[in-house]
Amino acid sequence: MRNIIRRAAALLASAAVLWGGSFPAAFAGEPYEVYNYDCWGEPIPSQAGYIAERAVSGTDLGTSPFSSPSDLFCGTDGTFYIADTGNNRIVAADSGLSSTVEIYDRFTMQDGSTTRLKAPTGVFVSPYNGYMYIADHDNSRVLVCDTQGSVEMEITKPDSEVYDRNRTFLPQKVIADKAGNVYVVLSNITTGAAMFSPDGVFTGFYGANRVQPTMQRIGDFFGRLFISEKKKARQMRNIPSGITSFDIDGDFIFTCSASSTQSTDTVKKLNAAGKNIFANMDVIFGDYTPVYDTSQNRLMAPAICDIDIAEDGNINCLDLTSGRVFQYDEDCGLLFITGAVSKQLGGFDQPAALESFGNDLYVLDSSKNTVTVFTETDFGSIVHKAAALHNDGRYDEAIGPWQEVLEYDGNYLRAYVGMASGLLRQGDYKGAMKYAKLAEASDIYNKAFEGYRMEWLRANFGIIAAVIAAAAVLLALTGKLRKNHRKAVTTEKKEG
Amino acid sequence: MMDLTQAQWVKYAVTHPAEGFEDMRWKKSGSLKIAFFIVFLLFLSRIAVSRLYGFQFYATYDKIFNIMPYIIQSFVLFAVWVVGNWSVCTLLDGEGTMRNICIYSAYALIPFVAQSFITTLLSHFLIRDESVFIQIIQIIGTVWTVILLFSAIRSVHQYTFGKTVLAILLTIAAMLIMLFLLVLSMSLLQQVYIFLYTIYTEISYRVRV
Repeated sequence: MRNIIRRAAALLASAAVLWGGSFPAAFAGEPYEVYNYDCWGEPIPSQAGYIAERAVSGTDLGTSPFSSPSDLFCGTDGTFYIADTGNNRIVAADSGLSSTVEIYDRFTMQDGSTTRLKAPTGVFVSPYNGYMYIADHDNSRVLVCDTQGSVEMEITKPDSEVYDRNRTFLPQKVIADKAGNVYVVLSNITTGAAMFSPDGVFTGFYGANRVQPTMQRIGDFFGRLFISEKKKARQMRNIPSGITSFDIDGDFIFTCSASSTQSTDTVKKLNAAGKNIFANMDVIFGDYTPVYDTSQNRLMAPAICDIDIAEDGNINCLDLTSGRVFQYDEDCGLLFITGAVSKQLGGFDQPAALESFGNDLYVLDSSKNTVTVFTETDFGSIVHKAAALHNDGRYDEAIGPWQEVLEYDGNYLRAYVGMASGLLRQGDYKGAMKYAKLAEASDIYNKAFEGYRMEWLRANFGIIAAVIAAAAVLLALTGKLRKNHRKAVTTEKKEG
Repeated sequence: MMDLTQAQWVKYAVTHPAEGFEDMRWKKSGSLKIAFFIVFLLFLSRIAVSRLYGFQFYATYDKIFNIMPYIIQSFVLFAVWVVGNWSVCTLLDGEGTMRNICIYSAYALIPFVAQSFITTLLSHFLIRDESVFIQIIQIIGTVWTVILLFSAIRSVHQYTFGKTVLAILLTIAAMLIMLFLLVLSMSLLQQVYIFLYTIYTEISYRVRV
């Protein structure tokens, strides 16, 4: 008897080993649990849209290790530029992140002298004129140079009445638009990005954040009416947090602000006039509920520290607090949440910058000194395909991909919205109502119901008309009968 | 004259806001059974409005269903109203008994309850653009109930117009005080319960060791 039990146990154990052994192939082990939000804004387990493939360090690229790098940029040709802040250099790597193409640490000025970088924190290469823009933080300047390293222009602290003379000029991030205008995020300025014309003349500030109208702000406003000037000067001022980083996509500039206390204007989409297109959108970027940090005993609100617009228009936001990349489609619909704070591959310590190239995501960690490469999963590619069709307005074509998405993950909220929109477009009102209900999308349900009601009325018009006519006749008849009856009763009484 | 059954009295009181309750008092009519049934319908209507409404108007949170808010919105609120009104009006020379206050107030709620059921039903046939019909019915039902309630309090206590207004305002104040005390005593009871439970666990651990 004991022998049999032992054999059975051995069999079970070996089966467990075999079964367990087959798992890692099916599920690449992320060091975190992948989740998404359901229609009630509550986190639920989901499938991964991106999987960490490898982490690339400086030595992997055939050069010395990075030292607290703070910016990553990917050119249109796929060349990666890493602002290696601690080593005072810009490292250019090939698109596969396998070897170094060039290291920029000394530049020739226009007068022939050489110059060195001091803690560069931002790098940008314009796809229009091919110039490289470097935010040379500790040298208080922005260098504009060609890819050979000869400086075309140097932008320093502007001598303008708009720019406060007492403030230093500390460029943090830099981008340039189609026309060659240069936008510089300054780490000590909260009034927006400094804007320079193509020839380096300061033209003003661009895209300042708004102050969040909290109860305290409103109270302060009324309190200020009664206090002296002296006291006012000592009081905390109502200043919005400045822009942390930005990215340019065609004519629009997307900015993000990493402030754990501010929740307005954390992500903005600015047009050429500096107007925020997302201003009236009811979207929370990052986690819906703050993360509780046990080590500091406080709630950590999301702090979006870098933003990247992918080629297909998706918005990737990097959250410093939770180490997560939140991917939104162009209409701010949440697609995927990737990453965590952890030591393993796929987690981050101090995420600093985010880029996308093709279907991959690249996250630079300034504490781990690596670039983590995330590749799209099968699930991710189907969702992207469906979302792209959906955002193009081709709802009916998106039905197929959305159905496939639901086969992977039956909790994926956007798929239900997509199905409802597609079926509504096709005129399948009943199906649209079903999916709209599952997506808690009452506006789509409203439209579908309108169509369904119309169809139902048309189909049953004959019966409805007949019923109404019958009811009218019946009412009229009973009314007459009652009148006659009453008359009869009264006459009877009189007679009696 | 005015020989109506209890059910007919309900109809009469609701359709005659000015003197309906006056006549009811004169005839010493009104049934406590019907009054409780109406309050039960009020309870059902609260649930219907928040759970059975057409999806195009609002999406309900379907993950949990807690019956307590509905009980509080109907039974508790009504009971507090009746007790509050009785205690205030006893001091203000009101002639109403607790029984009559309960009956008359419940009868006055009928338009509001009816409005809730009708709008819930309509919300399954209308779309958002037509929500004005729902709003009209809601307003009519609510205003009608307010007028009836006013008339009920006036006739049950034989008050003048001004005194009725005063009595209603004082009743609302009394309701707030009572609810406050209720919450207070609830939390105190909870504290006592927790205290006793801790002692129980403590002793049970000692006994075991």
